[in-house]
Amino acid sequence: MAESIRIGVYICHCGINIAGVIDVKQVVDHAKTLPNVVVSKDLVFTCSSVGQNTIIEDIKNEGINRVVVAACSPRMHEGTFRNAVEKAGLNPYLFEMANIREHSSWVHPDDPEGATEKAKTLVRMAVAKARLLEPIEKSTAEVTKKVLVIGGGIAGLQASLDAAERGLSVTLVEKLPVLGGKAALIGDLVYSEKKGWQIAKELIEKVVTHENIRVLTRTTVQNVSGAFGDYRVSFVTEPRYIKETCMHPEKGEEVCPVEVPNEYDFGLTQRKAFFKPFEGAYPPTYVIDMSACTKCGLCLDSCGKETIDLDAKPLEFSEEFGTIIVAAGYKPYVPTTGEYGFGNDTRIITLSQLERIMSENGPSFEDIGLSNPLENIIFISCVGSMEESDNTDARTYCSRMCCSSSIKNMLKLRELFPSSNIYFLYRDIRTYARREEHLYEQASKSGIIFLKYEASNPPEVSINGKPSVKVLDTLVGKRIQILADLVVLANGMMPPSDILKLRSLLKFPCSPDGWVAEAHPKLRPVELPSPGVYIAGSIQAPKDIIESIISASAATAKAVVPIIHGRVELEPLVSYVNEDICGACGICVSTCPYDAVSRVVLQDGRRVARVNPRLCMGCGQCASACPSAAMQQKSFTDEQIHEMIEQLVV
Amino acid sequence: MKEKPKAAFYWCSTCGGCEESVVDLAEKILDVVAAIDIVFWPVALDFKLEDVESLKDKEIAVCFINGAIRTSEDVHVSKLLRQKSQLIVAYGSCSHLGGIPGLANFWNKESIFQKVYKEAPTIQDETPILPQEETEINGLTLTLPKFFNTVRRLDEVIDVDYYIPGCAPNPDLLLEAVQLILSGNLPPKGSILSPNRNMCEDCPLERKEEKIQLQSFFRPFEIIPEPGRCLLEQGIICLGPVTRVGCGALCMKVSMPCRGCYGPTDGVQDMGTKFASALASIVDIDDDQQFMKLIASIPNYSGLVYMFSLPSSYFKRKNMEAVKNE
Repeated sequence: MAESIRIGVYICHCGINIAGVIDVKQVVDHAKTLPNVVVSKDLVFTCSSVGQNTIIEDIKNEGINRVVVAACSPRMHEGTFRNAVEKAGLNPYLFEMANIREHSSWVHPDDPEGATEKAKTLVRMAVAKARLLEPIEKSTAEVTKKVLVIGGGIAGLQASLDAAERGLSVTLVEKLPVLGGKAALIGDLVYSEKKGWQIAKELIEKVVTHENIRVLTRTTVQNVSGAFGDYRVSFVTEPRYIKETCMHPEKGEEVCPVEVPNEYDFGLTQRKAFFKPFEGAYPPTYVIDMSACTKCGLCLDSCGKETIDLDAKPLEFSEEFGTIIVAAGYKPYVPTTGEYGFGNDTRIITLSQLERIMSENGPSFEDIGLSNPLENIIFISCVGSMEESDNTDARTYCSRMCCSSSIKNMLKLRELFPSSNIYFLYRDIRTYARREEHLYEQASKSGIIFLKYEASNPPEVSINGKPSVKVLDTLVGKRIQILADLVVLANGMMPPSDILKLRSLLKFPCSPDGWVAEAHPKLRPVELPSPGVYIAGSIQAPKDIIESIISASAATAKAVVPIIHGRVELEPLVSYVNEDICGACGICVSTCPYDAVSRVVLQDGRRVARVNPRLCMGCGQCASACPSAAMQQKSFTDEQIHEMIEQLVV
Repeated sequence: MKEKPKAAFYWCSTCGGCEESVVDLAEKILDVVAAIDIVFWPVALDFKLEDVESLKDKEIAVCFINGAIRTSEDVHVSKLLRQKSQLIVAYGSCSHLGGIPGLANFWNKESIFQKVYKEAPTIQDETPILPQEETEINGLTLTLPKFFNTVRRLDEVIDVDYYIPGCAPNPDLLLEAVQLILSGNLPPKGSILSPNRNMCEDCPLERKEEKIQLQSFFRPFEIIPEPGRCLLEQGIICLGPVTRVGCGALCMKVSMPCRGCYGPTDGVQDMGTKFASALASIVDIDDDQQFMKLIASIPNYSGLVYMFSLPSSYFKRKNMEAVKNE
């Protein structure tokens, strides 16, 4: 027997937010005239406990079995009211909200009459939909008790360690042959007695000796399927090609005839195809770069045939994980050839390259052919950052760490070359972090010369025997020309090159500037829109080491929660297919951003589309795209929406 | 001998294809004639309207009406048949959805007459004459039915019990309908007597890719489609996904795209807008300008997706100030 529909309508004043514009009494009276409405009331603050209790009492005493609240945006209080309805013993999905604040009173403050009419219409539509609402049961699914961390830089290392310390099983994958990321390449840090490579080394030691962590280098994610709580991830591990039985790999490196720019020194030096990334690298083993190797076989001769296998095959495997932390880091901006003279003279280098020279495990000034001591040293700020451009993909952002890093290195160069002249051609000094402003002060006192330039009038670098830098100092209004022994371009940070691949695998959006867009910049800063996927470190935006470690710990704190709970609650408002109508045209399969819909063959041989409710996020794209009305979304069925439109146009 | 149930066939504004489909029953038509007594069928049998008028109300068991409502005569005869029939079946796309004649709803009476009787290249008359509802000749008055501004579906002027879709309908559907009606085991009123399923199910063409991602559209004459492969996937706009089964996927069997004559499945109110959201979902272009170029590459979207259903769309017709309330 069909139950009789009894609708309760509650019109919220929201203090004066709604009642200041809309004649709430009129809306209440209008609701009373609508079919099936048995209670229509106004409440000053419906979300208050008084308001919620009124609804609960009416459900209990008046036999209300559908509830409509006309108030603010459902984003604000839909959850509040669903909970209240549930508390009263009613299915929480027998609730509908009309947004008469954002959609009426706030946008039509000058037209109270029009706003009131619009509120009536919105209420009429919500009541029409409420009449057709069906109860929806929430469901849960079990969570695989394992965490995947993508990226072995300091953020990935910290995240792995935090999760492992909570007793969870962690798999850490790193695409490079070494762990530690960019931090492992840096020497002195701002206000830290430990150097970058020391911090990386300490973390690496803890991670690789932890019984709960499995570390896989040279490993990339190939595919991600499954759903929140049970992501099935497939990987490929590239071999190192050199077996552990090789006792003297340095001989192999020596005879290797192939030389390529060394990416670990940002191209300052050359390395062999048979190489060890850098001193102190972990794992401390040699590796063959197969993209450069010519398979000449010389290393086989010097190391022994049985210790090297140039035809070793990549290893493919897959595993399930409950949650995933993405810590894929960043890549430094590389100036284009000729940008501030870059590439035209060995004395023009980037800040990333300078960090390698200043680091204990990097090359020296002599190694790259620079005379010692240096007399005139010029830093140019904001190279590849803070672009002033209308292009939507321009790097208009501040890379945040270059000012402090530049000043840190200027002070070090001042110690190395006490009689040198050091100039900083800057646009804004942004030593924003704690203790860094002091560094700036120290630099000023030590005689470093700060010259401010405008973006519209950047320094010009030409080569006249030496690099010659011309700049208009806007503070004194003078054009200055300096012959330099070293020009350092403070290059900014860019999203990592594999961000697009990760984006398509893990279904997350990016901002126009290319960095990952988190689920909410303030409320959910370390989560991605796909549930169970989190971000740590500088894949999100330029970050320093401290911020990367903080975000890694934050992401892990979030990532372990579903695993500790053991079960995840699934999105209840998912799509579903009427298999009698569906002809498997596959439009829904094509449009689903979560790969939640697939075509399946039924027992009778018919093909139909089917939704995996674990993957469905309830976005509704498939339901609106379905050309035969076979695909419907719970609580947003065509019938309900048509009914609302009818009420809109009466 | 028990009296056979009476049946009637009538055509409103139509091309005659629906009548052909009845004849297409071939020798099976004998089974139909054996079971029912045809009392009115202007295309084939010499009955007059007076014969229908002389019948008692509801004397006809079932009447199949094809064609759209274009003229006052269509309305008049339809109303008469409704009065005399127990069941009315809208037969074919025109009476079901408005059909090809419904495309005239992009114009109105004035512009149609202007085009057909004055501007058509075959008109040689120096002083062309437009059809008149009344003409005086030798003291006698000749009349023609009124020509409406707007084409309507049958169920906009009379109550319709069932629909048989198609342009023209598959004759088997007619046979099944007759058998169903004779059995007395009637489906709910308003039913479309063809399965409520999406055309892709019956289509013999195969999809190669899991996801359709289109960057360009082609008209059927612009490319030679890969045999046996889904046309939509190859960029040829095919209305199969928004169309109901029943025809046996005839067009796709010869590698021509579906044009939607069977109308949509239940629950879809407007083929054109529904297909627009489906089509937009399989276009893989991010750039706005390129997207607009792609849209412009469809010469006549409304004419394409509403080829058989403009009078059934949300908009029913192109709005013209000149169109007066009829």
